[in-house]
Amino acid sequence: MKEDDKINPSPGSGEVSDSDMTHQTSAENVPVASESFFQKARENEKLIKTIRTILGGILSAVAVLFIVIFILYLVPVLQEIASGQKTEFKSNRELKQDKNYLKQIALLTKDIQRLSKKYASFTSGQSYIVINTTDNRFFLYKNKKLIREGYCSSGSYTMLKTESEKKWIFKTPKGKYWIRGKITSPVWRRPDWSFVEEGLPIPSENDPSRWEYGVLGDYAMSIGDGYLIHGTLYKRFLGMPVTHGCVRLNDEDLEAIYNTLSIGSKVYIF
Amino acid sequence: MDNMEKKKLSGKMITMIIIGGFVLAFLVFYSILSAMAPGRKLAEIKSGIIGLQQTSGSKTDERYFSDSAFIKLSKEKAFLQASISMAETDSVYMTLNIPDSTAKLAISGVEVHSAKISGMKMSKILRSGNEYLISEFFSSPMNIVSDFATIKKEPLMIKMAPKDTSEFKPDIIPDTSDYEPVNYILEMDNGVRLFVYQEIDTIPGDKQRLFFFDLNDRLKNTWRSLKRVVRFEVPEYHPYIKIRLPKADAKILYRAIPRKGQIAVYM
Repeated sequence: MKEDDKINPSPGSGEVSDSDMTHQTSAENVPVASESFFQKARENEKLIKTIRTILGGILSAVAVLFIVIFILYLVPVLQEIASGQKTEFKSNRELKQDKNYLKQIALLTKDIQRLSKKYASFTSGQSYIVINTTDNRFFLYKNKKLIREGYCSSGSYTMLKTESEKKWIFKTPKGKYWIRGKITSPVWRRPDWSFVEEGLPIPSENDPSRWEYGVLGDYAMSIGDGYLIHGTLYKRFLGMPVTHGCVRLNDEDLEAIYNTLSIGSKVYIF
Repeated sequence: MDNMEKKKLSGKMITMIIIGGFVLAFLVFYSILSAMAPGRKLAEIKSGIIGLQQTSGSKTDERYFSDSAFIKLSKEKAFLQASISMAETDSVYMTLNIPDSTAKLAISGVEVHSAKISGMKMSKILRSGNEYLISEFFSSPMNIVSDFATIKKEPLMIKMAPKDTSEFKPDIIPDTSDYEPVNYILEMDNGVRLFVYQEIDTIPGDKQRLFFFDLNDRLKNTWRSLKRVVRFEVPEYHPYIKIRLPKADAKILYRAIPRKGQIAVYM
């Protein structure tokens, strides 16, 4: 009986084994430690205040962020949800036989034919050239068909300023122009900016230094306001925006364009 | 001391709740007024078109508005009218063909450039509003009133003239490298906003720049709306068309179209 008791001590006997003892000690220690931490924290008013301030700050930041996201992103979505209803197309036999309806459809068809004709008349069958100043490319058309394309140089978007606040902007104008004049072996009459740009004094209007030969290639076509389509010595710059507003081409392209376009031919620049 | 603290805290709490309540009420009010804006815009479009029809004495039977053949012809006519009106000028203009997904540049009726739209998003009132009203809305060209972009319209460089020949330096080869993302917004006189975004992000950081570009625009619009809401007015609604284009095409279109240029849309 005594031996049995030793092996299996009854709960009421008051005897506890070694292993039980260790379990109980560690389980009791954790709550005691955390309790003492919270106890200490509760007593430390500064710490509580800091935690409260941090939490308050975080909450406020989250609230502000929510408001910003709501106003900037969610309200526009809400607007889209709330707007419009899809048109439901109905097959209304009665309507299709209605005299007024048929009249209206006939009138619309007639209007469309008239307007299409009018719009098509804007594109002439004559030769014309399209110049893209962003990519510095040209497209030559004859009878509404593309017959040649290649690189060109257009305005450099440079603003030349002098100390006396005089200024020139070197850009190619955009829009619809036409060939106003065709010249072979053109001679360049240097404008004032050409001298200013090189730091030279501006000569008189008919000074011989204003005339330069062979710099514009074999041909030149005027499109008005002093702007020309001409050749260049600086062929390595073709495809780049480097000119003072004129359009420069290489010799072969220039010749082809000169031979294709006549006075009055349209020049579309964009 | 403890009671004082508690009183202070509860006072703070009440203030917070009151402020929170006000903010919440304002958000609800702002949302309701904002949600009313598209409906008001549609009503505005409707009254404008009906008013125009009444003055011209050509009122259209409302039963036709649900007839697909009539709508198709009306849209075609409206687009042709707008295109002709623009072709009569010598300026560069843009046309957007939504069913064909193309954006074109033209001068006096001559198409000078065409770009394929790779992605598109539109306001619900343009996408699924009354189609007849929308086609009439686009029957005259839209005029650009302002633009907002990540690139310069005219990349102007300032060069000071040399004082004499010793200061003269020949021009260097221009820098044509593609280092800027191309995204822009064109605001029209009829309230429509056209957003053009580059198709693919080519440079690292393009996404972030687009985010800040978009955020900047949202902030500007929200500020305008908030100013109206605090005056108890319904904010203005701007129907939008958002398109994605290849970067080079987006740049060409933006640089080519004049600041106060015109655009026609075929829906």
